[in-house]
Amino acid sequence: MATHAEAAEHHHGPPVANQSSRVDSRVLGMFLFIASEVMLFGAFFTAYFFVRVVAGSPWPEPPFHLPVFVAGVNTAILVTSSFTIHWALQSIKRDNRAGLQAGLVLTLALGIVFLLTQVREYSRVGFNPGDGAFGTIFYGLTGLHGAHVFVGLTLLTFASIRAFRGHFSAAHHHGVEIPGIYWHFVDVMWIVVYVTIYIL
Amino acid sequence: MSHVTGTSVHVETGHGHGPPPRARHWALRAGWVRAAWMTGFFFLLGLGIVVFFRWLGGYDPTLDWEPVIVVAGLTMAPLGFLAGLGGFDYWVSYALGSPTRPEDHSGHGAYTWRDYFRVNTDHKVIGIQYVSSTVFFFLAGGLMAMLVRAELARPETEFFDTQTYNELFSVHASLMIFLFIIPAFAGLANYVLPLMIGAPDMAFPRLNALSFWLLPIAGIMLLASFFFPGVGAGWTNYPPLSTEQPFGNVFFSMAVQWAGASSIMTALNFLVTIITMRAPGMTFWRMPLLVWANFTTSLLVVIATPFIAGSQFFVMFDKVMHTNFFDPGENGYALGYQHIFWFYSHPAVYIMMLPGFGIASEVISTFSRKPIFGYRLMALSLMAILVLGFSVWAHHMFVSGMATYLRVPMMVTTLLIAIPTGIKVFSWLATLWEGRLHFSAPMLWALGFVSMFVIGGLSGVMLGAVPIDIHVSDTYFIVAHIHYVLLGGSLFTIFAGIYYWFPKMTGRMYNERLAKIHFWLTLVSFNATFFPMHLIGVQGMPRRVATYEPQFGDWNLFISLSSFVLGASFMIFVYNVIVSWKSGPPAPANPWRGMTIEWLVSSPPPVFNFDEVPQVVGNPYEYGVKGARHAILNGDRAAAELEPVRST
Ligand SMILES: [Cu+2]
Repeated sequence: MATHAEAAEHHHGPPVANQSSRVDSRVLGMFLFIASEVMLFGAFFTAYFFVRVVAGSPWPEPPFHLPVFVAGVNTAILVTSSFTIHWALQSIKRDNRAGLQAGLVLTLALGIVFLLTQVREYSRVGFNPGDGAFGTIFYGLTGLHGAHVFVGLTLLTFASIRAFRGHFSAAHHHGVEIPGIYWHFVDVMWIVVYVTIYIL
Repeated sequence: MSHVTGTSVHVETGHGHGPPPRARHWALRAGWVRAAWMTGFFFLLGLGIVVFFRWLGGYDPTLDWEPVIVVAGLTMAPLGFLAGLGGFDYWVSYALGSPTRPEDHSGHGAYTWRDYFRVNTDHKVIGIQYVSSTVFFFLAGGLMAMLVRAELARPETEFFDTQTYNELFSVHASLMIFLFIIPAFAGLANYVLPLMIGAPDMAFPRLNALSFWLLPIAGIMLLASFFFPGVGAGWTNYPPLSTEQPFGNVFFSMAVQWAGASSIMTALNFLVTIITMRAPGMTFWRMPLLVWANFTTSLLVVIATPFIAGSQFFVMFDKVMHTNFFDPGENGYALGYQHIFWFYSHPAVYIMMLPGFGIASEVISTFSRKPIFGYRLMALSLMAILVLGFSVWAHHMFVSGMATYLRVPMMVTTLLIAIPTGIKVFSWLATLWEGRLHFSAPMLWALGFVSMFVIGGLSGVMLGAVPIDIHVSDTYFIVAHIHYVLLGGSLFTIFAGIYYWFPKMTGRMYNERLAKIHFWLTLVSFNATFFPMHLIGVQGMPRRVATYEPQFGDWNLFISLSSFVLGASFMIFVYNVIVSWKSGPPAPANPWRGMTIEWLVSSPPPVFNFDEVPQVVGNPYEYGVKGARHAILNGDRAAAELEPVRST
């Protein structure tokens, strides 16, 4: 490679990599990350399984109650936000910037309402993480999920900033699509948490 | 991603982001100065968060050092360090919607030694950063092993109190596993894997840089734990032993989070790189086995590592926040920890072994001058190990008091893993059969690996059998087994890999004579150290205890003396590497006459690997097959088309 120094003079960057898969690398990366996240939830659900099924902890542990109805309304809020983010993505795919911005803002608002409702629930539910394994698992799983909502909101905030500063187009919208995939995951995960913690 | 011109009129906004880096004040420029003050600043931020929430919740005292250390010291301060060093710069400016800076490759490549001490996006620089720092942590962990053996030379306590002794062997194991074996493999693969598949870099170079810089954080936490006692429950950190340790146990929990995040990010990067960036013609069935090995390992990491993250969160919460995951008095389930922990930590055994299988396959084929025997079966057996590896975790719990009906199924699946592993061993032997063997240092280490690993595998089969396991649980038989697997297995292949790719990575040849002395000294002293442990283990000497019955005294003295020789043997390696790196003879592009793509480029490779992505035309191991080629680089194409090209 005697010509290397010479080549470096002319080349100001790497050669274009061969694209050996139809899947976009960023989308694939997000799916793998979500696989990893699902397993993290899996660890928490395993702990839940041991506490409730193997150790036989009563659920909810008397005298405590779980606010099934309020959490149900909250579930509806989060599910709605999945539709609004989908709308935002479909809008930019048709080059509709106003739709993109409105969809993102609505999603953000719904996500924030969800989190605030959860904080309010924490302050009124009447037990804390130290109240038996029941309290531990309740706060563990809902808290883990809340942290994910927070991460999702952060990603969507970034996407919104960019949307309002003129980024994204019908051809370039990975910056909306990828946080959107994450947001759907957070949503689906909540349904699993809601069903197993509150209803079953 | 979206390139915006025209509409964007945003210029410098002044702090923490924005192009170009040169225009900034020296204290705001990404680097060590900014890392220093941002570490402090983020620590104070964390302190503020803790105080605020404790004040809000009406906790007493408002300033409690335990949550402050966890939140400010072990979480926020490292984040500040990473931000200061520049790990997030690009993403911050992206997130704030600044115009995407055209890639100027200023973060790519190393021209002076300083370039190894910054956030560098070149996979080759990152590979060297990984390997060098993991060797550092290997020496630190090795030093602890020497101290443990010094204590064990005599039956009574000699040098350390029992808690310090417990911390020594716990931190020894944690460093070796999380800061040496796993990341050393990641480092070697980081260097050679993109070259091998004909990619100019990894799929996510900035993520790659970040995953490296998480490692020193984890390592420093483990080392710092000696100032905050508490990492004394073994690397397994079982509750209630761990929850009753002093507060410093959180240093283990958090170090595992940082190291685990690093390995998940790297694994994700490897998977995406392998799937989306292979050179034209590089089908899955033409990938070198090292690539296959890292593909399966990365799948294991992505799926399994979150479980140890979870298990350490639970222990830490039980400790710091007084939750009840594992407190039976509050309906918690202590045994649950072991299930969750081993659901990661058994697959982790393969995370620590499969990349080594890959290295051994590369080395053995190249130095036997023969195609690897049963290439497809080699790849499929990796996948079989991956799948089976998730079905055996409870073989670590035969004496834990778990449901007894789990024992026999777990025993059966454990013994089943001997089949794919056996396929690999026999394939290596068949590759050697009638080959033209060259006993260079990498080959010696690879052959040493095969023989030592077979011993460790056999004791593993013994341990998989419930009755034997019950007899030797928590004895030195276990210590012998794990060291035959992880030292005779993983460490030997890491050395095979380091010697094999040393010319490629540094552009210089190492001293072959010293490398051979290193190998033989390690091999002999390793066996002298660990083989007798089988014997005293079967006789009932318990592990993880600073004192023992006088009847084991003679063997232990012998073991300790051998271990000091073992420790000294690595000094030869360190000397050889440092001297050869500085002044070894220049290495040719292909000193071993290898066929895989990393040998087609110069040593060290050009900063962007290739001028043009190579074309893959055949299998990677067609040694001795006339006219066979694996890949062709630019300029070679016309010549290659004239030659008969073998392909499947
Ligand atoms: Cu195991």
